[in-house]
Amino acid sequence: MAYQIGLYLIYGIAAQGIGYLWGKTGVLPLGQSLFFGIAAYVTAITLRADGNLFLNLGLATIGLTLISGLAFLLATLVFRGRNESGPYFSLITLALVMIAEQVAGTASSLTGGFNGISGFNSLGNLDPFGGFYYVIVAATVTVSLLLFILNRLPINLIVKSVMDNEPRMQLLGFRTHVIKGAAFAFSAMIAALAGGLFASHQGIVTPTSAGFALSAEMVILTAVGGRFHVLGPLIGAVIVGWASAELRDSFPYWELLMAVVFILVILKSPGGIAELLETAFRWVWPKEAKHVPPSVLVPKIQFNKQKKPLRFEDVKLQIGVVQILNKVSFEAPLTGIISIIGPNGAGKTSALNTITGNLNVTGGRIMLGESRIDSRPPHRALANGIGRKLQVPSVFFSLSISENLAIAMMAGRLRLADLFKPATYQWRSKSLFDILSNPSVPLNEELTEPVKHLPQGHRQFLEYAMTVAAEPSVLLLDEPCAGLSPDETTLMTELVKTYQSETSGLVIVIEHDMSIVEAISDKVLVLHLGQVLAFDDYDKVRLNTDVQAVYAGGTK
Amino acid sequence: MSPVLLLNLAWQISTLALIALGLAIVFGKLRIMNMAHGEFVMIGAYAPVITSMLGLPGWLQLPVCLITVAFVAFVLERTIVRHLYGRMFDSLLATWGIAILLREIVELIFGRSYQSVSPPLSGTINVIGVDYPAYRIAVIIGIFLGFIGFSWWNTRSKMATRIKAMVGNPELAEAIGLNTARLSAGAFVFGCCTAGLAGLILAPTVRIEPMMGLDYLIRSFFALVVGGLGSLEGLGIGVSIIAGTQTFLGAVSSQTYGYLAVLTLSILFLWLKPNGIHSSSR
Amino acid sequence: MLKKTINLLSSTAFVIALGAISASAETKIGVLVPDSGPGGLFGPSTRNSAALAAKQINASGGINGEQIELLFADVGVPPAEAAQAALRLWKGQGAEAFVGMHDSAVREALIGRFNGQVPYVYTPVYEGNSCADGLYITGETPSQQLEPVIPFLAEKEGVSKWYLIGHDYNWPRDTNALAKGYIDDSGGEVVGEEYVPLTVSEFDSSLQRIKESGADAVLITLVGGGSVGFNISFAGFGLDEQAIRLGTLIEENTLAGIGADNANRLYSSSGYFSSIQTDAAASFATDYYTAFGSDAPALNGLGQSAYEGLILLAALANKAGSLDVAAMDAAAEGTTWSTPRGDNTMIGRHMAQTIYLADGSSGAFSVVASFDSVPSSEACSN
Repeated sequence: MAYQIGLYLIYGIAAQGIGYLWGKTGVLPLGQSLFFGIAAYVTAITLRADGNLFLNLGLATIGLTLISGLAFLLATLVFRGRNESGPYFSLITLALVMIAEQVAGTASSLTGGFNGISGFNSLGNLDPFGGFYYVIVAATVTVSLLLFILNRLPINLIVKSVMDNEPRMQLLGFRTHVIKGAAFAFSAMIAALAGGLFASHQGIVTPTSAGFALSAEMVILTAVGGRFHVLGPLIGAVIVGWASAELRDSFPYWELLMAVVFILVILKSPGGIAELLETAFRWVWPKEAKHVPPSVLVPKIQFNKQKKPLRFEDVKLQIGVVQILNKVSFEAPLTGIISIIGPNGAGKTSALNTITGNLNVTGGRIMLGESRIDSRPPHRALANGIGRKLQVPSVFFSLSISENLAIAMMAGRLRLADLFKPATYQWRSKSLFDILSNPSVPLNEELTEPVKHLPQGHRQFLEYAMTVAAEPSVLLLDEPCAGLSPDETTLMTELVKTYQSETSGLVIVIEHDMSIVEAISDKVLVLHLGQVLAFDDYDKVRLNTDVQAVYAGGTK
Repeated sequence: MSPVLLLNLAWQISTLALIALGLAIVFGKLRIMNMAHGEFVMIGAYAPVITSMLGLPGWLQLPVCLITVAFVAFVLERTIVRHLYGRMFDSLLATWGIAILLREIVELIFGRSYQSVSPPLSGTINVIGVDYPAYRIAVIIGIFLGFIGFSWWNTRSKMATRIKAMVGNPELAEAIGLNTARLSAGAFVFGCCTAGLAGLILAPTVRIEPMMGLDYLIRSFFALVVGGLGSLEGLGIGVSIIAGTQTFLGAVSSQTYGYLAVLTLSILFLWLKPNGIHSSSR
Repeated sequence: MLKKTINLLSSTAFVIALGAISASAETKIGVLVPDSGPGGLFGPSTRNSAALAAKQINASGGINGEQIELLFADVGVPPAEAAQAALRLWKGQGAEAFVGMHDSAVREALIGRFNGQVPYVYTPVYEGNSCADGLYITGETPSQQLEPVIPFLAEKEGVSKWYLIGHDYNWPRDTNALAKGYIDDSGGEVVGEEYVPLTVSEFDSSLQRIKESGADAVLITLVGGGSVGFNISFAGFGLDEQAIRLGTLIEENTLAGIGADNANRLYSSSGYFSSIQTDAAASFATDYYTAFGSDAPALNGLGQSAYEGLILLAALANKAGSLDVAAMDAAAEGTTWSTPRGDNTMIGRHMAQTIYLADGSSGAFSVVASFDSVPSSEACSN
């Protein structure tokens, strides 16, 4: 059996890398044998040139680092400025692996062409089916353990959150393209490790090792085995590999059967074999919910909390032929609550979008103190002390409330090392603690509930809590009371006012309900057709004839 | 540019346009990335073989082709593809499985051997000063006329509008009484039938065997990517760039560089202009 | 319908029948055939040819007095999986020798795996330059296929301007490197040389270059489907009037795919065609179609090579007195034996054999010349 299972384990390791990336971040790599193949070729060339074990191990480490660096660069470049993990990136990896296969076949002086590179011994001259088999097993165990550990660390939550709601992660200050790039680099490194083991185990590397067919095969192994579980891809590789070897020569419909199984898994059981196994396992041993008490010991916010005035200077925003903002200028006070009002289509939400960089201005500029803040990536907003709650509550629907809050607590506080400390999960800032301990806030008893089961109003409170967790000095709230009951509305306005008075920062609220506007506003900004109609105290705005004309239904 | 190169370009662009059309329809209208598209080209190319196997006269090749492809496409739409609407990655993977399935079934029925089909027109004719295969000239003209007709239909017909409405907002479309299930099935079957037709037309000029489909899939995909998914003008631009690059570099340099250039170009588009060229003018 | 199943069932039935005859089967031989992948087309004819060889070997007393039993494995997969499959037969099921009909990458992988511990006969056409302990080769090398044929065609057809086109990998490049020398010797010149990626299936620009080069002969080292597509377009453009074609891997299936319409002046050079008109070849074909039915997969040079491989293995093992690699290596040089291909001699671990040149113009091959005892230019030694 040992001579058979080694190869399956190697494919399984590479598939685990695919499973990590695809299952956690939703990015499907179609060209993973690019990294597998490069590593295999490099290993083959190295082993053929010199058999010194320590030299080779050293080179392997450098090689793995370079390959993951390359993958990181590739993915961050492609993902920068995009909020999707859609098929485009997958197709890029597909095209890359096709280039790699062609180059491997053509550049025969380096790669040996179609016949490949052969005639070298395995790493440390071990017997491929004796000593080296145990190296493969050790690598499999190591990679699996590493993945299991990562699953329990805060980094896992961050990666999952990116898949769940990328725009929200950016507003929480996370550089999502870097996170996706890192996840891709990690999976590429696993693929490269597998490729190196492959070359050493097989004693031959050919263009098929860097080819599209192998990439597709590994995706199939991952899907069938189950991409959401650490061991799923490994199970898939061993079961499919073993069945293929047993049945290929005796069962003529083998490929047909594989195709049908694959289609069925995609259609009916996205979790693959691993999910079926886990369901069975949980049926016998139910999972116990663990409660970890939160701690108020949290690191300081890393961004500069010094308050600076927010100023719009002739801001223009045009999308297509539509002029959405037309020379908007105003200067907000350092502290207080500003309400933005105006009829639908006035450009209220777009104005907030230009502040956070979700939309780039087409003219003018937005200043925070002496620095220009418009047209920057959204993840930079929080670093300027700007926090934002969106119009339709934008939270992480696949996660529980406590996980949502944990992510929010990491916003603006997280250092690299914290990603690997379980204690990071327990962070709870004072402002968040205050909200949760308020008996009226409908969140505490629901901490372990998945957010998708929450009613709309509770989602509003959750997103609000998440936004203030980072204690932004400029808080942008887009219709925080939409969908709330009168009691809840009162509660929300209380929370907003309390937050403002405790931090003495700036809060900008978009609100339609004039009674709320009256209750909370220090100043009111009236937008109409992309222009500032009035910017003054509530009472003065109410008496402004232009504003009355707009609200009376006329278009001025 | 030599007249032959010009005719080669016309041939490559027109055939690629016909092949990619169905892929564009299925992606543009249904958001299904149909990795089995090449296999429908393959089934279409087998139509003459099926016709002679059934002992039918040669002029029935076209109906045999369309009926076979439509039947296969309809069965697959009802059993598998309809579950994939709105699941883009899953559509890519499941149709990849369908592609393997179709290849294996065709292999079980016809074996692995190459099939040979004679062109209805043989010999060469002299066009713009060069001898060029008569059949190819006829195909270029036919596809060109066909596309004019199709784009006219696409802008005028109620059916095309309904399909657009359905994709834009399925719930609303259903609310106003469109049978979305029937329209989706129709669009899928239609897209696959154009692939089958392409296969039938190409059959006398290419190798015919169960694995042939892959050749056509990749280039059509990249043509769509470059041109912008989901519009007829974009399709035209995309196939011109992809087929043009391959043919032109193949002529002045080598096929290997042509192939690598097409892949590199596709990567650049996917990276820098993921919605294709045509989207910029929208 | 369902040809694959029927073929499989019939050959299984046949092997079972063999087993019944030879209840004392003791020597197991691994036969590596391409059932899947690009070479999958040749799987059935390879299996059948091997089974026929086993039947004849057993009928004449087996290998060193022991009956043989064939164990098949699919190696139409990437080298790693192919090596794995071979290993299963060797370590798992006790195969004592191997006969392989597969691509060169798989051969390189197997040489590494076998490491000279088990005899291994490699049978298809290949690029040459492979030597290893226990490795014996029956396949035609480029020198065998071209050295006698190029001057013959230059003379017969009066051609001198050669265009070389092949797929972009080792075999075509190595073949053409040798071909240039033979073309030079025959007084001809090379007017063009190009390689296309295995993934490209359009040849328009190549055909234009051939036309402009004024070539009157084209040496084709494209493989499989690419070769079919190229030849169809070649004739479609009317280039068959301008130039003859010579292929070194155009066998019966490829020709059928090209079709009679497109095969005008298409020559193929090989150690075997199903239409060879010798008594040995005729009786082989009769035995084949008797055993596997008149609609059995068409005989061809690649499939038939498995027969050659097994017969050679038996001849070497019987001469050496065992399947021990060292003994067989020592006995190999100068071994002679006869097969449907003609009279063969083992020289430098390669098979000196008769080379046939066939004309496919009619859509079926007719042999126009044969060259006896053509040695390869390979010289492997102990």
